[in-house]
Amino acid sequence: MFPWQKQKTEAIEKRENRKISKNLKDNIAYLEEQYSYGLNYDFESKSVHGPTGKYHLLFYSTTVNTQQLSNHIVSPLLEVKKDIPINQILSVPSITPIKNMGEAEKGLNEGSVIIFKEGLAEGFEAKIQDFKHRAVEKAENEKTVKGPKESFTESLPTNVSMFRKKIPSKDLIVENINVGMRPAMPVTLIYERDLVNDEVLENIKQRIKNITVDNIRNVEILEQFIEERPSSLFPSMLYTERPDNASNFVSDGYIAIIMDNSSSCLIAPITIWSFFHSPEDRYLRWAFANFSRLIRAIAYFITLFVSASYVAVTNYHSQLMPIDLLLAIASSRERVPLPIAFEILLMEVAFELIREAGVRIPSPLGPTIGIVGALILGQAAVEANLVSPIVVIIVALSGLSSFAAANYSINHTLRISRFLFIAAASVYGLLSLLGAILLWVAYVVSISSFGVSYFSPATPSTKSTHDTFFRKILKNERWRPGFLNPKDWDKY
Amino acid sequence: MELTKKPLRTREMVAIVFMIVGLKGGDTTPALFAEHAQNAIWLGPIVSFLVLLAPFLVLMYLLKKYKRFNLIELTFHLIGNKAGTILGLLLFASGFVALSTDMRNVVEEINYLYFPNSPTIAIYIIFISICILIANKGWETIGSLTWALLPVIVLTILAVLIVDMRDAVGYRIFPIFGGGADVVLKEGISKSSAFLEFLLLPIAYQAFHQPKNFRLGIYTGGILSCILIVSFYALYTMMFDYNTINNIAFLYQESTEIVTLGHFFTNISTFFMIGWLFSSFLRFIIYLYIICWIFGAIFEIKRFEGLLLPIGFISMMLSLIPPSFAVNELIVRETSLQIITPLFLIFPFLLWGAAFWKDRKKT
Repeated sequence: MFPWQKQKTEAIEKRENRKISKNLKDNIAYLEEQYSYGLNYDFESKSVHGPTGKYHLLFYSTTVNTQQLSNHIVSPLLEVKKDIPINQILSVPSITPIKNMGEAEKGLNEGSVIIFKEGLAEGFEAKIQDFKHRAVEKAENEKTVKGPKESFTESLPTNVSMFRKKIPSKDLIVENINVGMRPAMPVTLIYERDLVNDEVLENIKQRIKNITVDNIRNVEILEQFIEERPSSLFPSMLYTERPDNASNFVSDGYIAIIMDNSSSCLIAPITIWSFFHSPEDRYLRWAFANFSRLIRAIAYFITLFVSASYVAVTNYHSQLMPIDLLLAIASSRERVPLPIAFEILLMEVAFELIREAGVRIPSPLGPTIGIVGALILGQAAVEANLVSPIVVIIVALSGLSSFAAANYSINHTLRISRFLFIAAASVYGLLSLLGAILLWVAYVVSISSFGVSYFSPATPSTKSTHDTFFRKILKNERWRPGFLNPKDWDKY
Repeated sequence: MELTKKPLRTREMVAIVFMIVGLKGGDTTPALFAEHAQNAIWLGPIVSFLVLLAPFLVLMYLLKKYKRFNLIELTFHLIGNKAGTILGLLLFASGFVALSTDMRNVVEEINYLYFPNSPTIAIYIIFISICILIANKGWETIGSLTWALLPVIVLTILAVLIVDMRDAVGYRIFPIFGGGADVVLKEGISKSSAFLEFLLLPIAYQAFHQPKNFRLGIYTGGILSCILIVSFYALYTMMFDYNTINNIAFLYQESTEIVTLGHFFTNISTFFMIGWLFSSFLRFIIYLYIICWIFGAIFEIKRFEGLLLPIGFISMMLSLIPPSFAVNELIVRETSLQIITPLFLIFPFLLWGAAFWKDRKKT
């Protein structure tokens, strides 16, 4: 470690270990200085003269519940006649004694009220935080028609309570690990004690502990710090905003990671199939769910391969097409000056532009995108002989299909892979396209997420629900996912 | 971190065997048999499989008896280091020759049918670099990849069978012995090493979750492959008939070329090409990996993946020596197979004898 870092940590430690003194004035002066009392407009330092002594309260007025403060802290202190310990006077649910200034500061930062009493070398922390957050709302990004509608919100206690509501069991463990320095933020792991694989759990904990960065404020950032392959195209954790989905995973032996300030949670370890599934697949009846999966599977294949196949076949294998279709394509391309690969790339990039603009644009301007996209890029480009109508159809098809992807994380994977395949197809037709597909699949089957093969349970295969392209009838799903190696395999 | 060690199981082994042996139904091997056996090409493989069955079963018996070994380790254990090295090298060399000639055939096929204007070497380089890149990822990836792509290939095979069946004429199977019963017998025996992969695959005996998975896999895969090969060859016979069949080099492609699906889809061979190309890639990925594995096992090279590039490259260079596809198929491949065959028929018995000798010495 560098010498200046050592000095820094020593100074911090010294400050944190400072004892609380019996002299009330000393304590108050110290904390008021530390918290820039007077400059920080919401930092309050109030003294209360009760019948039994002199008390002092320190808190941020913006983070505590003022009603609780007056009803459950100030009133009891003013009313109590006998000299009994503070934690017996106050009626707030959580009150803990503190010994040193480090704990006092931590409590203040978390939004608690710190209470000192004259002549007592001890303080108390009353947890009556009231951080503002959104109410529980409908899931925006993972919509379902059939099934629960609520989604996570940017508050840790609310999110945990949604888990507790769904899995009311003593085996549901909600564990905190601190991450970062300025300030340390808790990362919460949620798992079922009697199911989770300890090796995986330990691995994830270790990864979180090994993070050396000043701060991580939400799971979206955390995800990138604990991933095994940060630069890979394939995500190794599932990002979901639905508590019902998350608790389904947890009750199968997966681990959920949540943080304050995130309206979503991460699920680890994960396989590629989970990105393909939607929670609604379990709520719908067997045939309906599998039909919807079939449509989605087709969409995936179209979005990945249709443009690339068009490039390969028209450029290199025109003799292999039915003659009528070939003539149709040729006549539509008659006046187009661009080579096919370039034409496709042009339209694909245009489509990506529309999509990117659509995400970023302020909603009142939204309809503009539709007009620009549909009219200028589609109609006008064809009329100007820049692209052929068939290419517009193909790109629209592949673009539309990419929206059918159930999960936002895998959506990017598909979009980028599509460009790789188009490039491959333009090199050597089907030979290089199939080679690229092979390399792509080989990569997918070779990677793993926290020790779990990305392609299981298809291969390598273990006892599991075998929930891959299609799912079984729920009654026949006998085993928990065996690739996680859970403590209890049997669902019955 | 790995949650499960050696995750591959029976299904991956079945897929591997199917890919490396079964898909000889779609390459140039039938043309090799058709040269002399005429429309009895479907009997040739049956004879070959029957001939190979005895040495194969002996080898499997030995592997089962000495639980801990793979093919090369078993050889070393039974006949000592020196003789083991020589036998191992012979196996490697014959596998290597077969790899080279087969690969040239497939590349020529791709070149001739789909890229007639390209130089062979360009296609060859693309082909082999993809094989090497994927093989480099290791056995588990190869096994999983094979299983993952199996649906595409099986679908292709079924589609080809159904489509071809409509153009097949049952009576064309006669004369049943084609060029003559003795010719068929001779062809089947002397070219039985066209399916030598059966005897090279035991190098992976220890690479599965349990050795049982390997055994089950190779038996199931082997039977499936036999059925596939024989039915495909019979189908070719029924499509092309006596005297035409020995003039066609690429029976699989030709058979998909001449069938139509209604009036619109007159040219459906592209659809069948996808599965065929996948399977060709996979076959040589597996084959190349196994050959390097054998070489690595002989000289105790732990990280033999590094050998893929040199061995693949040398194999490519050597296989480009024959001036044309015809020379390669009908002279080089045929001759080399006839030379290799005795080795593969004899060596398991040699090992068996050594095991017998060892047991007797012990007691």
